[in-house]
Amino acid sequence: MRIRNREKPFGIEKPVTARGQIVIIEDRCKGCGFCIEYCPNDVLRLSDKYNSKGYHPPYVAHEEECVDCGFCQMNCPDFAIFSVEVESGEREPAPAESVKR
Amino acid sequence: MNGNGKKKRIGVFVCHCGVNIAGVVDVERVAKALEGYSGVSFSTHYIYMCSEPGQNMILETIREEKLDSIIVAACSPTLHEKTFQSVIELAGLNPYQVEIANIREQDSWVHSDKEKATLKAIKIVKSMVEKVLQNESLEPIRVGVTRRALVIGAGISGIQSALDIADHGYEVLLVEKNPSIGGHMIQLSETFPTLDCSQCIMTPKMVEASRHPNIRILTYHEVESISGYVGNFKVKIRKKPRFVDPDKCTMCADCEDVCPQIVSDEFNMGLSFRKAIYLPFPQAVPGTYTLDIENCLGLLPIRCGKCKEVCEPDAINYDDQETVFEEEVGAVVVSTGYDLYDLNHLGEFGGEKYEDVINGLEFERILSASGPTGGEVRRPSDGKVPKNVVFIQCCGSRDPENHNPYCSKICCMYTSKHAMLYKHHVPDGNATVFYIDVRTGGKNFEEFYQRTIDEDQVLYVRGKVSKVYKEGDKIIVWGVDTLTGRKIEMEADLVVLAMSMVQTDGVNELLKKLRISSDANGWLSEAHPKLRPVESLNAGFYLAGCAHGPKDIPETVSQASAAVAKVGDLFAQEQLLHEPTVVPVDEDLCSGCGICVTICPYSARELDKEKGVVKVNEVLCEGCGACAAACPSGAAQQRNQTDDQIFSMVRAILRG
Repeated sequence: MRIRNREKPFGIEKPVTARGQIVIIEDRCKGCGFCIEYCPNDVLRLSDKYNSKGYHPPYVAHEEECVDCGFCQMNCPDFAIFSVEVESGEREPAPAESVKR
Repeated sequence: MNGNGKKKRIGVFVCHCGVNIAGVVDVERVAKALEGYSGVSFSTHYIYMCSEPGQNMILETIREEKLDSIIVAACSPTLHEKTFQSVIELAGLNPYQVEIANIREQDSWVHSDKEKATLKAIKIVKSMVEKVLQNESLEPIRVGVTRRALVIGAGISGIQSALDIADHGYEVLLVEKNPSIGGHMIQLSETFPTLDCSQCIMTPKMVEASRHPNIRILTYHEVESISGYVGNFKVKIRKKPRFVDPDKCTMCADCEDVCPQIVSDEFNMGLSFRKAIYLPFPQAVPGTYTLDIENCLGLLPIRCGKCKEVCEPDAINYDDQETVFEEEVGAVVVSTGYDLYDLNHLGEFGGEKYEDVINGLEFERILSASGPTGGEVRRPSDGKVPKNVVFIQCCGSRDPENHNPYCSKICCMYTSKHAMLYKHHVPDGNATVFYIDVRTGGKNFEEFYQRTIDEDQVLYVRGKVSKVYKEGDKIIVWGVDTLTGRKIEMEADLVVLAMSMVQTDGVNELLKKLRISSDANGWLSEAHPKLRPVESLNAGFYLAGCAHGPKDIPETVSQASAAVAKVGDLFAQEQLLHEPTVVPVDEDLCSGCGICVTICPYSARELDKEKGVVKVNEVLCEGCGACAAACPSGAAQQRNQTDDQIFSMVRAILRG
């Protein structure tokens, strides 16, 4: 049965996920954009600035959305990005539709 | 002349059927007119041929006159062909040497002119004489029975059916598309009219089903197709990859804790969240986690792999594949349940726009002690306890112009229960119910409804609601009280809609493949609305629960047990008999054009490409004759209904 897609499910228990902090080693980046493409929670964006090689590195636009899944790290061909778990905590869940890929 | 060149001795028995036939047709004249007609050596009439004296008369006459075939001129063969077949079998004749000349439905009931009706009756009987002259003696086709059943859908009806079949001593496959058995009943808070906690009465049944040695539970499986015929079905079942080994999973919840993906929880009707790897609810059977691949971050080309890292028993297998396998069963119980009508159809109530306008199942979860609010009544938008709750009945039901014409049957009772439970949770709150009629036809239902009004002070307003809209954080309900004729404008904190029940999505497509028919509203059709309510017209398929139409729990359970009684009838037979009046192929005449293959509604015919002729599966053939009519070379001839027989019948009618 189709269930209603609510903006935010409510309830007494809030969802708990890991929270990640993203570290970007800008000078290694060649601006391929894989990390941005593969991030399931849309955390990263391409920045306007240039690195020493003359590419646009990504920047962290929505750190609060990072769940430390490590997809950016696994996809980066140049080992220029990684995430570390900082804490676990309650999150407001995103609507189901936007999570579905 | 019959096949052996011996002249047949035919007896004609004309029935009066009281005045049903004799009132219009001169039966005596019919009997006289047949005396001496080719092959007829005896002809008589009697007031009720189907009565015991009538049957005895036929029996004695066959012996005295040494008849070898008879014609009973009476009602339609659907009514009494079997009766008279067994009579002549008693006399030692082959049952296919009896023919019924229908002079009631096709004559006396549709004509009033006595003279013409009598002449028509004579023609009908004479044409039957021509047919009987060329009738062959036939033996029924015999097939074995696989004593194993398939139950599709594991809600309360499916679980009850499976348990009953298993207790009869037969093996059962219980197929469920969701990760756990339980269906909608396990979502309910309490059940009317006794207010039993649904989980308390359902979980023991679920556990019993999972432990029964005769039941094989296949959750997260779907039925893809069913071929074959009654007693001998072949079922293709698709196993969806669960990615977790149920035997290894200990339900420790470590995987769930680390999973980064949060999605709406179907079991709680989207009112809470779950992870992409999840247990549908704590009492789930089988007790195992399931990885929902739709919402997982993905397995290819790279995977986050957090669940597998923490899984101590190593139950997670990312290489799990979808597989299709085949099983043999003899009977199929269809217990696929229901869905609720989509709220989006009710634009006047805001569709799904207002978070605090919810359907009955969502309110069940809010009331449930295991629900998203832990059993406190809170509204979805801000979690406040609602002080004014409006319940609206017949949302999408009993509205032939805009929605569904039928009554969903259970809503009056569950709305009454909802209002009562709400008042138990929030004694100082106000509950108002808008209704068209309150239908409480059931044991102790009316008393329950009266209790809602008398003891719990729920206000019942007779009238329809025309509009629900939002003003600030208040919901405004516009309606009319049709008893006083006054318009009502009412503020509400929460509105609960008793949505109509509808057929489950996708079930009708499956059933079309199985050739089970459904009615105009999508509910499955029974073989006879009064006398065969749990069987489908397609032999070997049985109906249980809401797939057949809206039902409450006791009715669903009774229907499930009744369907199983019918499965027991089938399994008790040593061999199944099939009508031999099928359409075989004369291989010398068949040109292999395949017209009959495409025309056969029962998939009984297929082209043998090597031989270039058509092969017939006689067990599947229902003898409808469509192929015989379509065959251009006359190779398809129905037994005891050959072209020769039909032509001589037509000639007899034209001769008069």
